[in-house]
Amino acid sequence: MPLSRRALAAAFAVCVALPLSACGSSGGGSADADASGKVEGDITFQTWNLRANFKDYFEGVIAGFEKKYPGTKVKWIDQPAEGYADKISADAAGGTLPDVVNVSPDLVAPLAKAGLALDLDKVAAKYKKEYLDGAWASHQVPGLQGTYAFPWYLNTGPLFYNKTLFKEAGLDPEQPPKTYDEVFDAALTMAEKTDGKVATLANVPTIEDFGRYGVPLMNKEGTAFAFNDTKGVELLTKYKELYDAKALDPQALTATPESSGKKFLTGAVAMNPGSALDLGNFKKQAPNLYKNIGITDQITSTGHVNMYVMGVMVNAQTKRTPAAVAFAHYVTDAEHQMSFAKKVAIFPSTAGSLDDPYFTKEDGTDETRVRVAAAKSLKNAVNYTPVLFSEQMKTALRNEVAKALQGKESPKEALDNAVEACDRLLRQQG
Amino acid sequence: MASSTVSRVRRQLPSSPWLFAAPGLLITGAFILYPFVSTLVNAFTDRRTLIPGEFVGLANFSELLHDDMFWIGLRNSTLYVLVVVPALVVLPLLLALLVQKNIPGITFFRSAFYTPVVASIVVVGLIWVWLLDERGLVNSVLEAIGVGRVGFLSDQWLLLLSAMAVTVWKGLGYYMIIYLAALANVPRELHEAAAVDGAGAVRRFLSVTVPAVRSTMVLVGALSSVAAFKVFSEVYLMAGPSGGPAGEDTTLVMLVQRTGTGLTGRVGYASAISVVVFVVTVALMLLVLRADRKDAS
Repeated sequence: MPLSRRALAAAFAVCVALPLSACGSSGGGSADADASGKVEGDITFQTWNLRANFKDYFEGVIAGFEKKYPGTKVKWIDQPAEGYADKISADAAGGTLPDVVNVSPDLVAPLAKAGLALDLDKVAAKYKKEYLDGAWASHQVPGLQGTYAFPWYLNTGPLFYNKTLFKEAGLDPEQPPKTYDEVFDAALTMAEKTDGKVATLANVPTIEDFGRYGVPLMNKEGTAFAFNDTKGVELLTKYKELYDAKALDPQALTATPESSGKKFLTGAVAMNPGSALDLGNFKKQAPNLYKNIGITDQITSTGHVNMYVMGVMVNAQTKRTPAAVAFAHYVTDAEHQMSFAKKVAIFPSTAGSLDDPYFTKEDGTDETRVRVAAAKSLKNAVNYTPVLFSEQMKTALRNEVAKALQGKESPKEALDNAVEACDRLLRQQG
Repeated sequence: MASSTVSRVRRQLPSSPWLFAAPGLLITGAFILYPFVSTLVNAFTDRRTLIPGEFVGLANFSELLHDDMFWIGLRNSTLYVLVVVPALVVLPLLLALLVQKNIPGITFFRSAFYTPVVASIVVVGLIWVWLLDERGLVNSVLEAIGVGRVGFLSDQWLLLLSAMAVTVWKGLGYYMIIYLAALANVPRELHEAAAVDGAGAVRRFLSVTVPAVRSTMVLVGALSSVAAFKVFSEVYLMAGPSGGPAGEDTTLVMLVQRTGTGLTGRVGYASAISVVVFVVTVALMLLVLRADRKDAS
């Protein structure tokens, strides 16, 4: 019996002590890192849902790297899109983060704050000139000095619209809306003509929409949110008008990008933002829609379209810093970004790549038209998603926007509450 | 002789019982005890996913009291128990009575009623989302008969009710099987005697069947109330990650997931919510068992 008591006591002590002692360091993970040594050793590389379609491409890239740097071996891991952030956070907390990780700016921020992302300005500054300035800056975190990931591919896209639905509502399918006011007018006409059965938009405004409308998202220091200004209230008031007229889909309050994409495919909504990738989906899944697809520029009041940036981060705790940095650069250099862009509708973030004839010359097809237009707009595009805007903040904004649309709060009250909630979450991030 | 052999073995292998229990203990320790204590400890810290926390006393619990979303979650989880549990105690019993009869083809119906239990909740959730969509089958039928479209997935209360309906629909078969086992033990003579005394079907159900399966009803009540209070998948799939319009359909477990996961997750605060869920769940179990004892006495 004494044994059992001791065993129980020990087990309990372990159970209490372990949670208290768990978890990693905080900040300053790149202080002693040095990427100047010999490029050798085994490293792991994690991508974000890319194996299914690009297995051969990545195996080729890895083989090329291992050939260029004898003595290196890259183990490639691919994670599904769903729950990617959770997977990274579990690995980061458990100390099993791969050496080189595919990330987006909002994923880099907490990793950098926890000292888990290598500061490339310290160990790989020589590569900075190879990338577009805006793309390099996209992995910088307010409040921290440094750049925490190599920029990888960029994406942006046009606004698709259903010409048949436009025609049926008496709108000119050859003259799509070009400004926010025109979109709102077209949406109200569509709702009126179809008796509220066809909505024009399927999503509530997101932080990127506020950004493109010209609303300041954060203060200059990046320490507080500011999207509750007059312009923000104006945008939300317009959306409320659309929601009341059923010009905004009634299920928009719970919509996801996937569900709104499906609604556009089935002709339940008339307009939806997308990318060049979507054209292939339309052709395959909705041939009738594809025949009547209209393509117009992304709506923006700032002169800058929104772009999404992918990055490749190096784990600050890697034991193979030279190899990890070399591989992250190898994957994202101009040659490999260009070859990747020719396999899928994405755009390179390397300087000069967008001037390649592949991105400047049309051949008369919709695909090249979208690609050339997107490449042109990317040259001065902005990543409107604030690096510090977490999933919890997205939910807080979305819920307050929903309250305004339902009439439970005024647009001003809703945005004030959203800013307050986001500021609180920002402070709690540390 | 036998007892001396046993004591010899005990002397030689004083830890043998522990060795036999070790695999089970290890699994229990790693996957139940450790996470439980870990959650309890974290509830009193401000720990975040990547940043170790510090002891903050009751601050997380105090914050809960002022968090609107916590009260919404508590309201929805409680409503779930109040609606789903009575349905799952009564409806499977009626279903079991129906399929209990040995008539040709009844096996098909038993299997059909059990099918939702083995179906993946994600698949089931998506099917119901398609059915209840503004342009789904249900709304098309309602429109055809002149009722008009109903916002099953856009109205906060209809959305919650729809999720409850899915939970009940999916759970019917499981509890029906439990009731079938209990009904098999109800002596046929009791029914015959009641019938001889002139009792009709309803009277026999209330006076013979229900008392005979009362302990099973308590078991079903306890199991379904715990499951209902911890509901996540159905509501998450139907209301979306943000918990329905303005988050009004968020349940407590959804709130735990939303608050505590991701790279910026507030593990400490989410743990505090988990502790509340645990306390309420235990209280629910005790309440059901106490009601059972009271009824029995």
